[in-house]
Amino acid sequence: MNDGKSRLVAPIFLVTALTVAFAAAVSLGSVTVPVATILQVIRLLLEPGDSLSGELSRELRSAYAILYHIRFPRAVAALFAGGALALSGAVVQGLFRNPMAGPDILGISAGSSLGAVLAIVSGLAALHPLAVPGSAFVGALCAALFVYTIAAGRGGTQLLFVILAGLAVSSLLSGLVSAVLIFAEEHAVNQFIFWTMGGLEGRSWQTVLPPLPFIAVLSLLLMGVASPLNLLTLGDEQAHSLGVRVEALKVGILVGAAMLTAMAIALAGPIAFVGLMVPHLVRLLTGPDHRTLLPYSLAAGGIFLLLSDLVGRMAFRPFEIRTGIITAVIGGPYFIFLILRYQRRGSV
Amino acid sequence: MRPLISVEEVSYSVGSARLLHDIQLSLFPGDVVGLIGPNGAGKSTLLRTMIGFSAPAAGAILLKGRPLAAYSARERARLMSYLSRQGPDQFSFRALDVVEMGAYPRMRWGRFPGSRERFAARAALRQVGLDELAEREFPTLSEGERQLVLFARVLVQDAPVMLLDEPTANLDIGHEQTLLRTVRARCEQGDAAVVALHNLNSAAEYCKRLVLLEHGRISAAGTPDEVLTRANLERAYETDVRIGQNETTGSITVNPIPGPGARRNMRVHVIGGAGSAVSITRYLHRKGCHITGGVSHELDSDAKFWSALGIEFLQVPAFSEIGTEELTRAVELARAADLTILCAFPFGHGNAANLDVAEQAHELLILDESTALCRRAFFGDATDLERRFRHLEKTWGTVSYDDACDYIASSMSRR
Repeated sequence: MNDGKSRLVAPIFLVTALTVAFAAAVSLGSVTVPVATILQVIRLLLEPGDSLSGELSRELRSAYAILYHIRFPRAVAALFAGGALALSGAVVQGLFRNPMAGPDILGISAGSSLGAVLAIVSGLAALHPLAVPGSAFVGALCAALFVYTIAAGRGGTQLLFVILAGLAVSSLLSGLVSAVLIFAEEHAVNQFIFWTMGGLEGRSWQTVLPPLPFIAVLSLLLMGVASPLNLLTLGDEQAHSLGVRVEALKVGILVGAAMLTAMAIALAGPIAFVGLMVPHLVRLLTGPDHRTLLPYSLAAGGIFLLLSDLVGRMAFRPFEIRTGIITAVIGGPYFIFLILRYQRRGSV
Repeated sequence: MRPLISVEEVSYSVGSARLLHDIQLSLFPGDVVGLIGPNGAGKSTLLRTMIGFSAPAAGAILLKGRPLAAYSARERARLMSYLSRQGPDQFSFRALDVVEMGAYPRMRWGRFPGSRERFAARAALRQVGLDELAEREFPTLSEGERQLVLFARVLVQDAPVMLLDEPTANLDIGHEQTLLRTVRARCEQGDAAVVALHNLNSAAEYCKRLVLLEHGRISAAGTPDEVLTRANLERAYETDVRIGQNETTGSITVNPIPGPGARRNMRVHVIGGAGSAVSITRYLHRKGCHITGGVSHELDSDAKFWSALGIEFLQVPAFSEIGTEELTRAVELARAADLTILCAFPFGHGNAANLDVAEQAHELLILDESTALCRRAFFGDATDLERRFRHLEKTWGTVSYDDACDYIASSMSRR
């Protein structure tokens, strides 16, 4: 509901930022690939048929290998995971009418951790690259389902019960994770801890591609409920009186956000704070209208994770800092800043 | 004529608690129905049930003759709007954005509000007198302003049935009148509204019909005159009230009596005239005494004041003498009272019988002229009247207004 002018400014800015961030993420690294070469590689990829025929230069051939096998999947994973986390954060905040809420309320982190640790300890992780993300995804969804089953009473979904059930299930699952770790071998414990930091290194198309269509479809569906989500800020009764099917909307958003977050965790591991921080920042810029907030959060989340990953790769070369650590280092202080800001305003 | 909405024998329970019992209510075009009753009587529950948010345990709600469940959510929203006090307090929507939300049931899926919705929203804000706050963020508005913004949202929704849950709870008297006038004006054009109200005087003024809810049941329904009776209100609200009449508009007024409650309190008969009884009546009313008055004359300012407060009193036509019937009744009232007060006013033919009333009192307080509006003069059979008055004065003495108040206060505390 912005005025005509700013309605154009923000999308143009976001598309530009997205392009620049993507270009930077695939261009920079241990070997810098010039933008011109990136464009050449993209043209090669878009051309039909066997594009790697003999006449290519050695330089272009190695750039193709780096970009296609390493940087593109990694950047795409960052883009989709970040976007999914931010979008699900935005819808959950709208649903709970609380700008401090996040999909973690549903016990998703704890569930995915349990899934991951089981895959690692049981040895499944060594068998297939999709084992850990797949198992984390299933764990996250089971946790969300469990929370929802507890919270949904006869009279409809009471959001307070969702929060309480989420807390209870989270602590139960965290306990189970610790219990599994006690009996695990040391290398498995290390692998799990490494996984909990969240990161994008070593992504291949094989692990990146499967969740992408689901993330795309779920994102579109969730962006479609922007208007009713706006009305939900008037309270359940008034939203109902305006023609919103409140109960269906709540269930849809909880399920959609849970699946989206679970996909993001499958892509990038548990990345902290993106779901809380990005929608919040976007809200400061565009206002609370979900019709703009949701698409902008999706884009901004992708950009944010791309840049965090880039910083992690570039800041202390040749060492690589995991993306989850970068987002936590940025997110923690931002969260403190938020608390102080709200304290000054006197309300959350 | 077919009702716009009818509530047929609706009951509603949460767990084992039955919050609504057999509610029967029909709204026709033009109806403004005031829903009154003490806190927790079920007013909000009834409105939530009528909007279809809570499903009734028994009975049915028919919207234009069809059961509520037969409508899609959007169809229903185009026919029936609902106002509560919840707004987007956590999210900084502008006032105009909130008002525009009312256009949702008429908009196609995924459409942004266009110039038509924007125009309607601005017009609604102007109607409630807040057009200059259109760009302000909702959470920065005062409680009353928020409520008016939410009401403007209902105006944009433009549904023929409006269910308003305490729409005036935080409004100043000016905004309260604006809102209720707007509701009434829309209903005069064929809409209908149910308005839950705590202010019974507004309810009497603006509602054609009132429904009194008590413990989830309708305990009285009908015109304001039929519902706002002392018996109904004292039973429902468990406080003492006087029913009077608004001198300006002629509608019923309800005056709660402060203090411990007249039924357990001192009974005082006041003999006045020419406005001499106003101050002491006010004092007695504040103290919660059971007041009776008379005999006074029609159009006399004491009579008007007593009538406005809903006090039981006797009167005869202006400039006429007090007849024997009124005199007998007045003596009965004075004999039934613990205390009779004779105010300072002139005696003449017309009110000579009031001296008889004073002479019959168990206990009499005679107010002196120190704070009186007029002198205690004697006209007509002046010597006889004055002789009788002096005799009373000798028996009871006279007291100043302040001393009379002190005396009343101390004898009340002795009881």
